[in-house]
Amino acid sequence: MAYLSTTNYLEDKDFIDKWLYTMRTGEMDLSWMKAATEKVKPHEANSRRGLTYRDLDLGSYGFTGVPEKVRGNRSYAPRGAEIPAGVPDAQPWVSRKSEVWAFNTESYYEEAVSRQWNVTTDIPWERLDSVELPETIGKALSQLMTFLTEVEMIATDTPAMWLPRLNPDFIEVKAFIAAQAMDEARHTEAFRKRALTTGWGLMKASPVNEMALKHLRDADSFSEMSVALHLVAEGNVLTMFRFSEYLSPTDVDKRIFRLVMQDEARHVGYGMQHFKYVLENFPEKREVLHAHLDEAENISFAGSAATELTESFIILAGGGLKKENIEEGIKITTKFNLKQMEEHFERLDKCGMPERKQRSKLYQMYEMGRAAAEAAGIKL
Amino acid sequence: MAISFPSTDYFEALKGKMTAQQEKFRRLGFIDTTFGVKVGNNGKARNFVLEFEVFDLKNVREVDAIDLKKVDFMIEGDARVWREMIENIHRNGEADSSHDLNTLAHFGEQLKIVYDDPDGHDKLYRFMESIQKFFDLSSQVEVSFS
Repeated sequence: MAYLSTTNYLEDKDFIDKWLYTMRTGEMDLSWMKAATEKVKPHEANSRRGLTYRDLDLGSYGFTGVPEKVRGNRSYAPRGAEIPAGVPDAQPWVSRKSEVWAFNTESYYEEAVSRQWNVTTDIPWERLDSVELPETIGKALSQLMTFLTEVEMIATDTPAMWLPRLNPDFIEVKAFIAAQAMDEARHTEAFRKRALTTGWGLMKASPVNEMALKHLRDADSFSEMSVALHLVAEGNVLTMFRFSEYLSPTDVDKRIFRLVMQDEARHVGYGMQHFKYVLENFPEKREVLHAHLDEAENISFAGSAATELTESFIILAGGGLKKENIEEGIKITTKFNLKQMEEHFERLDKCGMPERKQRSKLYQMYEMGRAAAEAAGIKL
Repeated sequence: MAISFPSTDYFEALKGKMTAQQEKFRRLGFIDTTFGVKVGNNGKARNFVLEFEVFDLKNVREVDAIDLKKVDFMIEGDARVWREMIENIHRNGEADSSHDLNTLAHFGEQLKIVYDDPDGHDKLYRFMESIQKFFDLSSQVEVSFS
């Protein structure tokens, strides 16, 4: 046990006496009724939407007033409650707002809650009964699903690990991160179910992918995790989901990818808004962010080029394993790879880091890939 | 009576169907985005701005040109492509796997997604299922093409 209560209540005479005394006499303390807290009355700004976290942005309960450095609350007390002496120090790792905050965090959470879906019942699995895919396509699809299951399992673990480390005053961020963990668990479920329904079972785990995923999981700070996960990895995965939808061999697969891309795009949205927030509110961190990006781009380049992923995409895009299929598959997959990199730099540019291209090795890879594609006659 | 495409009447008709199927769209969740639809025809274009809020299409209007700074993204395509998509939806009750928005727009060969801010662009994907189901309502509207 890492933590033991500083009092053994089961053997503490004063505590037990008070418990029995209240039972015996009905005498109550009631000091909590005089809590020194603010009285507010929130209203729905839009009755169609309901009572949102934004509607609760009032006085000491609001998120607007949360200071850059939260020194007043290190316990589990909800923001705005009276904090009496004797609450434990929860030892949050992150108590600096700019380390976690994003513009519109509360809206991302509300959107996440309202757009939840159910893999078991929202996917028309029964339509697969009449589907018979050629062996190579079925196996390639299962390999893609195996790869994505691997990705989504770590995408569940990673944000969830940060939940107890965040100061409780960051309620909205914690709620968003909790919703994200749920989203990623759902994606794991969707991809595992689809892999098994191909009839080929799961295919092979990817060492390169797992090295990349380990980097996400072991980030040293929330910002490093967010840059690597929300902005870089999920940005790439969003493009990958769109590409997978485009290549999907059945309308069931199309629906799966349309639904997962919605969640993924929301996570990318948070990542972008967080990145912008850090650059605007903690400008001295720009160089640190570049260093995070150096690593995140390295692992994302490796993950995106993993054999298990690339080859399944080439087969799905080309429609098989014949020479002409492979030629066509390589053309389409190359266009996707370059588009993925282009969109990454577009996002960074718009977030306020236009200089990234100049120092990024990934951008050099992009230019090299583009030149190679043009030389190979691939129309971009 | 058939409703002409492209026109605000067409989008208003979809809006009416959307309202009539509130439960389905509530189930899909909040949709908060404003986007443009550009329909090209022989070098000319008709432009529409669709403003979605909470669960509804709040407002649709035809404009001379779409200001990309005032919309999240714009879906642009030739009238021929839009017509093929709508006719496909009408035949199948929903877009088939060759005619859904992401497939048509993925490499910009049929429809093209144009945007100023990638965050706005990503909203297409954040609300993709709602937007697709919105266009799929075309299956319930008689459409004529001018």
